[in-house]
Amino acid sequence: MANWDELAEALGDYTITCNTNERLRKMQRDWSRVLHFVCEDNGVVFTMEVDRGEILATPEGHEGTPDIVVTTHSETFCDMFWGDLNPVQKYLRGEIKVQGSQEDVMRLDAISYVIWPDS
Amino acid sequence: MAGAEPAPPAARVLRRSVGTATATATSAGLAFAAIDYLGVVSVLAYAPGATAAVAILIGGLIVLLVAGIFSELNGLYPTAAGIRLYLGRAVGLRTSLSVTFTYMVTVVLVIAADAFLIGAAVRHVLHEPAVLAYVWIAVLLGVALAANLSGVRIAGWMQTVVTYTVLTGTVVLSVIALFHVGGTFHQPLNLFGRGGFSGIQAIAFALFLYAAFEWVTTTAEEARTPRVITRALFIAPVLIWVTSTLFALALAHLVPYPSLHGSAYPQLLLGQAALGTVGEVWMLGLTVLTALNTFNGGFLVASRFIYAAAREGNLPRQFAWLNLRAVPWLAVTTLAGVAAVVAAVVFATGQWLLLVAVGAALEAGIYAIAALCLFVLRRRETRERPFTLIAGRPLAAFGVVLFTVLFLATGFSDPKNARHFSVAPIGVIVVLAALSTGYVLLVVPRLRAAAAERSAAARPRRRPARPGAGTPGNDTPPVDAPPVEAPPVESPGTAPQPDRGT
Repeated sequence: MANWDELAEALGDYTITCNTNERLRKMQRDWSRVLHFVCEDNGVVFTMEVDRGEILATPEGHEGTPDIVVTTHSETFCDMFWGDLNPVQKYLRGEIKVQGSQEDVMRLDAISYVIWPDS
Repeated sequence: MAGAEPAPPAARVLRRSVGTATATATSAGLAFAAIDYLGVVSVLAYAPGATAAVAILIGGLIVLLVAGIFSELNGLYPTAAGIRLYLGRAVGLRTSLSVTFTYMVTVVLVIAADAFLIGAAVRHVLHEPAVLAYVWIAVLLGVALAANLSGVRIAGWMQTVVTYTVLTGTVVLSVIALFHVGGTFHQPLNLFGRGGFSGIQAIAFALFLYAAFEWVTTTAEEARTPRVITRALFIAPVLIWVTSTLFALALAHLVPYPSLHGSAYPQLLLGQAALGTVGEVWMLGLTVLTALNTFNGGFLVASRFIYAAAREGNLPRQFAWLNLRAVPWLAVTTLAGVAAVVAAVVFATGQWLLLVAVGAALEAGIYAIAALCLFVLRRRETRERPFTLIAGRPLAAFGVVLFTVLFLATGFSDPKNARHFSVAPIGVIVVLAALSTGYVLLVVPRLRAAAAERSAAARPRRRPARPGAGTPGNDTPPVDAPPVEAPPVESPGTAPQPDRGT
């Protein structure tokens, strides 16, 4: 079970990797969303605010009204943000649950795919 | 034991979510394509005159059972990947993959059929030579391809308007045809007894009129509450029932069956018979509008499925390549290409009714498998669900038998002669299923092995080791990551930037 500190470290790395990837920024230039994340094992929740493809903040707790809600195990979140697992495989096994439009769900995976094409 | 799984998380309020009206429009819009006008003619072939209405009513009642089955399955797995999940848990991963691949073929067939039918209809109204129909087909598919590649999406409200316009427009013209033209409908019983009624095939083809209404379950993740999808699954068939019944009665009333039988655009013949050129153009407009839903929904569902399958390692990874609009461009282009080839084959052979028969049989087969899934999962998944079908197990068992019979009835029907049997539809399905199964058994394992090798060779784990832990920062290493030594932490922002897909 990963605690908030570990998640925050993973999120920090993920944010820098995403924001410095030019191709990703181009691809997501029309994508502004509020994402809520829920760790179903330890109850930790956090928010990700994306503005035109740039991740602005990833604070603990839920802020604003979400466009997407992602729920899974805290370890899965950590591995996902470090790029150590393929989110699609977990999603297709029902281990990652998402609420949101299909397009947004795909965009979310596309981020991982673009920054870690071999994950 | 799956029954020990936690219940799905409670629905949260999303900034944009889908309500009952939009979900119902999505369901009805996906079901009511241009090919449905031909589907009504296929019903009339086995249920002449007003008996077609009886067949469509029975088909509608059976579809309510399908709605119940999908409502419960969707409640258990409220996700776009639902079909993979409940198939996988009920019948195994390989079978689920092969069934899903075959299912996606239905989407391609519907896209190809609609492209052909709309092309033929436009050519007919513009009085152009027959050969120009394929030019229109190519233009339609080209426009759909370009729109998809550009990331253009039909907004939910527009999809709703289009669907209700198509349904209302068809109903209004049918009512005009029935009550204001000719006048023989004042003796409706005269419409009965215009030929032999062949129950099983008539009902099987009637079922096809509702086909694909269950695809609305792929929008479960954006529904305001799980009950939204359930409501849509029960309301949409009623809308299709009303529309198809009135259209079938109007056709039986105004257009002689022999002229319908050889036509790819029965709706235009009805429009012409009811209101002359105005009616013909009216129905042409509605036919073109159906394309918006079919192409938008069909391309979207199928291309995203292909993308996910490629990301999962079940299709060549090139199918996951994204363009700068985050569209899986190779998947979309391949879909359009295959649809163009199928439409060309239909155009060259004139076998459009075969497409209806194959589609009807495939859909009945899918319903039989869905009923089987519910039957199995009733025992394996004991957790609470938002919708529970009353007498679920007996009804699911009944569904397996019923839909298998309907699958065989359409699979062996002769699309061109209702009095004969043919192995053509079942032959096409057997070939598709064999290709799909062969692919899953022979190619998928190699793709997965190659993906695992690539992943292991590409780079070690990035997640730093948790202090004092034996493995890098994890209680249980994920199965997707190779078990290697913890690497030095890579400096942020240096991950390789892929150069692909543009």
